[in-house]
Amino acid sequence: MSAKAHQLVTKGGQVIEREEPWIFRTYAGHSSPRASNELYRKNLEAGQTGLSIAFDLPTQCGYSSDHSLARPEVGKVGVPINSLDDFHVLFEAIPLDQMNTSMTINGTSMWLLALYVALARERGTDEKLLRGTTQNDIVKEYLARGTYIFPPDASLRIIAEMYEWCLERVPNWNASNICSYHLQEAGATPAQELSFALINAIGTLDTLKQRGHFTPEQFEQSVGRISFFVNSGIRFVEEMCKMRAFSEMWEEITTERYQVKDKRMTRFRYGVQVNSLGLTENQPENNAWRILIETLGVTLSRNARCRALQLPAWNEALSLPRPWDQQWSLRLQQILAYETDLLEYPDLFDGSPVIASKVAALKEQAYAEIQKILEMGGVKAAIDSGYMKSELVRSMSERMGRINTGDLTVVGVNKWKEGIPSPLLGGEDGGVFKIDLSEADETRATLAETKRKRDGARVAASLEALKAAAKSGASMMEPSIECALARVTTGEWADALREVFGEYRPATGIEGQRLTLEGDRVEALRRRVTDLVEVLGHRPRMVVGKPGLDGHSNGAEVIAVSARHVGFDVIYSGIRLTPEQIVESAVEENADVIGASVLSGSHLELADQLMDGLRQSGAADDVVVVFGGIIPRDDFATLKAKGIARVFTPADYELIDIMEQIVTLLEARHQRSAAE
Amino acid sequence: MQATLSDTHREWVEAALEAHKFSIARLISLFEDQRPEAVPQRAAVLAFLDTHPRARRATFLGITGTPGAGKSTLTGQLARRMHAARSDLRFAVLAVDPSSRFSGGALLGDRTRVRFATGDARLFFRSQASDTELGGLSPRSFQVCRLLYRLFDCVLVETVGIGQSEVDIRFLADRVYLVVQPMGGDEIQFLKAGIMEVPDEIVLNKCDAVDAARRSYQALKSSMALARPFDGDAIAIHRVSATEGMGLDRLAGRLLEATDTYRVDSLRVKEEHYFAKWVKEEFGRRGMLYLRQRHVGAREFLQVCGSFDAAEAAFAAEYVTRAS
Repeated sequence: MSAKAHQLVTKGGQVIEREEPWIFRTYAGHSSPRASNELYRKNLEAGQTGLSIAFDLPTQCGYSSDHSLARPEVGKVGVPINSLDDFHVLFEAIPLDQMNTSMTINGTSMWLLALYVALARERGTDEKLLRGTTQNDIVKEYLARGTYIFPPDASLRIIAEMYEWCLERVPNWNASNICSYHLQEAGATPAQELSFALINAIGTLDTLKQRGHFTPEQFEQSVGRISFFVNSGIRFVEEMCKMRAFSEMWEEITTERYQVKDKRMTRFRYGVQVNSLGLTENQPENNAWRILIETLGVTLSRNARCRALQLPAWNEALSLPRPWDQQWSLRLQQILAYETDLLEYPDLFDGSPVIASKVAALKEQAYAEIQKILEMGGVKAAIDSGYMKSELVRSMSERMGRINTGDLTVVGVNKWKEGIPSPLLGGEDGGVFKIDLSEADETRATLAETKRKRDGARVAASLEALKAAAKSGASMMEPSIECALARVTTGEWADALREVFGEYRPATGIEGQRLTLEGDRVEALRRRVTDLVEVLGHRPRMVVGKPGLDGHSNGAEVIAVSARHVGFDVIYSGIRLTPEQIVESAVEENADVIGASVLSGSHLELADQLMDGLRQSGAADDVVVVFGGIIPRDDFATLKAKGIARVFTPADYELIDIMEQIVTLLEARHQRSAAE
Repeated sequence: MQATLSDTHREWVEAALEAHKFSIARLISLFEDQRPEAVPQRAAVLAFLDTHPRARRATFLGITGTPGAGKSTLTGQLARRMHAARSDLRFAVLAVDPSSRFSGGALLGDRTRVRFATGDARLFFRSQASDTELGGLSPRSFQVCRLLYRLFDCVLVETVGIGQSEVDIRFLADRVYLVVQPMGGDEIQFLKAGIMEVPDEIVLNKCDAVDAARRSYQALKSSMALARPFDGDAIAIHRVSATEGMGLDRLAGRLLEATDTYRVDSLRVKEEHYFAKWVKEEFGRRGMLYLRQRHVGAREFLQVCGSFDAAEAAFAAEYVTRAS
């Protein structure tokens, strides 16, 4: 008897009741390897089925915990990893051969994979059994996330070498994961997300092909190893269509451009983290619903369903999530997978003319964009020229413009703003997570201990071998594993390669951007700025800076573009600046305002470093310093006492409001100094 | 009109000569100040500097080229190398960027690309808005250069090269370097625009793209011969790659030689060009006409008045109260 249309059928024709769910993950890690290990074991007990490791920014950017840039960031947004000794602690009592481990790691991806393999070797686990993913998508780091280290050519070579090594040595490892997630966070439209991710994958495969390391059979397998990591936003029907478009386009590209014959190798495999960009600080409890709805976009359609899913927590616009917040998000996945009947049906949308038409429209736009970038010379050329970055900054500016004009409704933000205060924020901790800072000292102590105990000669020899491979063009993977076994540190590994490859500074993407913001308020503010020119003797100058290692630059970029829009002269020097560099900019440019964007939670330390620097240069009384970012209200008073004139958070979403307040601060400062 | 030097400004000047950055920065702001009260203050600062034993005399090297030619990265790399090679010299970079016609605001000097070790007193970086959308040099750039001339040994002036600004940089810098990129079509564009007449030397950047660079080099050589048939020696074309480091040490060496060779003793020739530009900016075509009819021209008027600041003050006063 043949199966009914609503019944699930296996490849063998057998009717089954329901499908296995996707992998449940929680992006987690903080403080120290010890604390993170405890958290992972708890999460696994709670029913999580894979690990998703969050590394702290120094580890992601290739600095050991004792580096001066690292200092304020150790253990803040993830776990610090300095050497193989830390990995032994991080994975204690977690069997590597049974675990599927995803690592959000990019600039130092080869190093972290080397550590994982070295750990398996020291534990006596067969490395062939290792399963997991190193995110390792450098393109989106250049465009949106900012934890790149080396220039594009060297970075793409590292990725290619990892594909080559993994395919032969750890066949179940995804050497990289093409991420469009961060592109949507940076403002990408669905068509941009599709085209930028796919052109990125094309870039990777073209590189692999050109290198000629693989036989045609191996190359076909490497196509099958390409996996994706996407975003799912609040427009969930369109998002579902986007996922169907992804699947269709990937099959078409792999078949047509690379002549892949094995159908299994052309499948679009992807994991998801649903959107954090749309999560609001105002009425944060509403985010729980947003997360639920965004989850539907990547689970409803069976043909375009994710392989793994991780959800943000409702309070992510306020701070890093607490364990309870993460558990609440995990429960959502479990309810959807096990309580509902979602997994009992074949695809619900096949044959819908509405869906088919929407998918076709998205594909058309995305293919046009892919063609345009290919004509520019491919993904590397489009990064070098700043094209992709400018397109993203433009989309982001448009989005902010639409929220500001009310064209885009955000409940609790620009509509229905008044509400009953949330009891969820009422607990003793105020609903936010605080890191125990003393653990950073412990991490540094472990690092010192590792350095003391290791064999110095073996360290030096392994670093020399790494550099020699980097220079000669030989694979750096085995030399990196030897470095790991020798107890080389994260900073030493990255420094060795910095010496060979240099460091990369990308285009900021803000040149030539215009804001859609118009109207009486803008005109009035421009007049006030012109009046300031008369009293200051010059157009007000603003240094927009991103101190520290956090690379999410869109907030700073939008502020830089807005400030120019209302008539400021703006100095924006991109990301990963030391406080000393921002101070020097402000001093040399005789700036009137410093606007610093901080999302990593290190605002208190950075405020001290900035204000100390200004005092030492004699400029502290001449510059107004404002902060923007994810900063808990509890810290406002402390920041004020340190000399920060005003703090803006995601609740201050109206750009014109922010600009008006900055101009008011400048006017007040001038009136005060004129009165003296 | 000669104002006396205020104590504050005297302190700034003394500290600036010791390479104190915030003092230099505030003095630059004074030289950018467009209010009338700043004119005598500038004159006083310059008069004080002109008799100061520790004042310096800078050579101005102009670096110009189309957007995207890699000027900023190149300028940063060159400044770093020149600075490392000559510990006796003080260097400044003045980076001029276009302003928005709509808001008047500007996005300034990509300091990221000119990153030096922080806290180094011998290197100073300042951005400036052009006040025009095409990025030409404003009279304020000239004013700032009058100051930098006396505080540094070598000033690299980086400008966007489209249209008017080439001529401006010709009148400001002692030596002009045009940066072009391989096969950017720059060769042809420059030829059309007559810009090839401006540079003293050409820098072909991004020579890491080997084939394109070779073709561009040949195209440039032949177009230079076409554009400047009367040049005695063929113009130098330097092939470099600012990102890969190729050819940079040699070029930095050339710039240091130029620093020692082309230093001129006064800004007088430059003053004429920028005084005329100032008159046009402040008083428009009628102002220019008035200058020509009453005073023959900028050179003559400057001679009568004795200094740039005096000429500015005198012309403003005279033009506003001109016989109606």
